Amino acid sequence: MLACVFAICAFGQAAPAPPQTHLKVGMAAPDFTLSDTEGKQVKLSDYKGKKSVVLAFYVLAFTGG
Amino acid sequence: MDSSPANKAFAEKIAVKFPLLSDWKRTTTKDYGLYNEASGYGTRATFVIDKEGIIQHLEVGRTAIDPTGAYQVCDLLQKKKAAPVPLPKP
Repeated sequence: MLACVFAICAFGQAAPAPPQTHLKVGMAAPDFTLSDTEGKQVKLSDYKGKKSVVLAFYVLAFTGG
Repeated sequence: MDSSPANKAFAEKIAVKFPLLSDWKRTTTKDYGLYNEASGYGTRATFVIDKEGIIQHLEVGRTAIDPTGAYQVCDLLQKKKAAPVPLPKP
């Protein structure tokens, strides 16, 4: 499997005008350490040199919108 | 931004096969420039990050739910023909 897919979920009111990220193609992705559904710490840099990553920020995950 | 237990319930409901992470403190959402101070929430976005940790594709906003662009970039990476994909014009 080429890519490891992460999804970061959020619930709440969507902003009318979404912020424009300062990140661009070709830039290094900021590292992070976050908990998965089992409480295990997942670090982006653990995948460096091993797998590509699809990172999805899924705001309003429970709304179906 | 949801808690890990809330994410677990969601993951079981939709039977996801990939890690579902919680950004409870919103630090990662802020680091990626997706946090809206006024609302206190983030916005949807999809990033494709290659093995070297470099962003090869990003999509921000409501269209980010469509995985087509991410699929295309993943296909390029798989064929080892990865090249930066230009950002769409606003």
